[in-house]
Amino acid sequence: MKGAMAVIRLAYHWGAFGFLIGAAVFLTIPSVPSWAQEEVTSKIYRYRERVATGYYEGYEVSPRRARAILETPGIRRDRFSIGASAAAVRIRTHLPDSHRGLKFYYRTTCIECHPGQARNLHSMRAGITCRQCHGPEPIAAINHYYSAMNTIRRHAYVCSKCHEGATASFSGFYVHEPPSTALSTRESFPLLFYTSWGMLVLLLGTLAFFVPHSFMVGFRELLDKTKAPESSVGKLANSVSHRIMGGIRKLFEKKKVPENEVDDAA
Amino acid sequence: MQQIRRFTPIQRGFHLILMLTFVIQSATGLARMYVGTGWGKQLTDLFGGYPNTLTIHKWVGLLMLFAFIIHLIYILATINWRGLPGSIYGPDSLIPRLEDIGQSIRHVGWILGLNGPPRFDRWAYWEKFDYWAVFWGICLLGGTGLILYNPVISSRFIPGWALNVLLWIHRIEATLAMAHVFLIHFFIGHLRRENFPMDLVMFEGGIDLEKARHERPDWVERMENEGALQNVLVAKSTLSLRVIYHVFGFAIVIGCLYLLVNAFLNAHRLMG
Repeated sequence: MKGAMAVIRLAYHWGAFGFLIGAAVFLTIPSVPSWAQEEVTSKIYRYRERVATGYYEGYEVSPRRARAILETPGIRRDRFSIGASAAAVRIRTHLPDSHRGLKFYYRTTCIECHPGQARNLHSMRAGITCRQCHGPEPIAAINHYYSAMNTIRRHAYVCSKCHEGATASFSGFYVHEPPSTALSTRESFPLLFYTSWGMLVLLLGTLAFFVPHSFMVGFRELLDKTKAPESSVGKLANSVSHRIMGGIRKLFEKKKVPENEVDDAA
Repeated sequence: MQQIRRFTPIQRGFHLILMLTFVIQSATGLARMYVGTGWGKQLTDLFGGYPNTLTIHKWVGLLMLFAFIIHLIYILATINWRGLPGSIYGPDSLIPRLEDIGQSIRHVGWILGLNGPPRFDRWAYWEKFDYWAVFWGICLLGGTGLILYNPVISSRFIPGWALNVLLWIHRIEATLAMAHVFLIHFFIGHLRRENFPMDLVMFEGGIDLEKARHERPDWVERMENEGALQNVLVAKSTLSLRVIYHVFGFAIVIGCLYLLVNAFLNAHRLMG
């Protein structure tokens, strides 16, 4: 027994020592890059032959996995049916001018073609207009490689204008959020869909039980024959409820009277 | 008339802080949720515009969490650690017991006229539900609120789209909390026959002995059998205090009902 305890104590002490050392080392690491903000490691060489100015390089991150929306059904066309070269001009979210070739484009406003997109936290709460984020004409598509709205540099060129210190992960917040409980959101943003419905079921379930429960308790207590003594303030309520209940009782008594009279007459 | 002490001054203080912060959080939260409507705009103007409303919401939220931490320390300090586990499982504790299930079934039976009333001890099952609903509600709202407090910092540790999800959790849980307080809690505190027009127990701290004997016979009997009843008898609060309690209570109720009604009336504008 004694030997076993000694071994356990020794293991415990070394374990605690190791934990403290580990914690100290962990805390002194200046910034631990989390998986949500991984910067491109080969930022100098990766796009060298394709970068025109090199101007963005210091801020860019890889177009990567921290995206919740997989795909918005009905908007994105099948790549294979269009073909790679056709896609480069026909998928508007990839064009340098996303509105290229639209007839009477300069006579329209943004929300005529994008209804509902103005209902977002930025425009409703801070009065931010479309072009403050999406840029002046020609409005580059959000997925075009050189667009400021491209997710590899959106945090640096759009978000940081107001949110100082915004990271690539921060720019992953959906300003144009899909309706959280709509069925289409189950395909595009499943976590939001299931979480919202889970919370809504909790909300509706609680109310569905406790609202009828409270009102039924209240009604049953009005009818309580074993009347409890009321507090001085409640005496008024007592008399009012007695009058109401007395009135209801009389109603029922009156209904019974004719039956008795009929019986008597017979 | 003599009263049994039901809440200590510290517990009443917790409730007072909770209700004040809750009302402010409801008003500032609804104002921002409804800022796209005329009513929400008015409400944010009341707090000095949208940015100020958000600032107030954040600071009062921190105050609420601070009070919650104090409450946790209070719980840890008042638990009888030597008597565990029996000491926190007794009838004076808010921990749910097996008896609560039987009492709730019997209570529903009494409501439907199937059997006699259940004999409640100190806490009825819906009161325990109320306490734990607020407890976990503050954990959920406070947790999501803390993460949303500074999205630039928090998005370094979680992906940005998680903030969309957390915001909806925060909103729906807050809606649940407000609906529960404004509909159910107010009904129980004000419109039940025994409590109309206002149940003062959370302000006075005491409940009339005869009322307690009728509503919670097992509690009073247990006290009498233990010989502890004399120790918890207190005098009723003075008339002036009761007037203050009523004025204060109804001011809160009217303010909250204003929020509830306008939130309902403007709800369809949120969808459009």
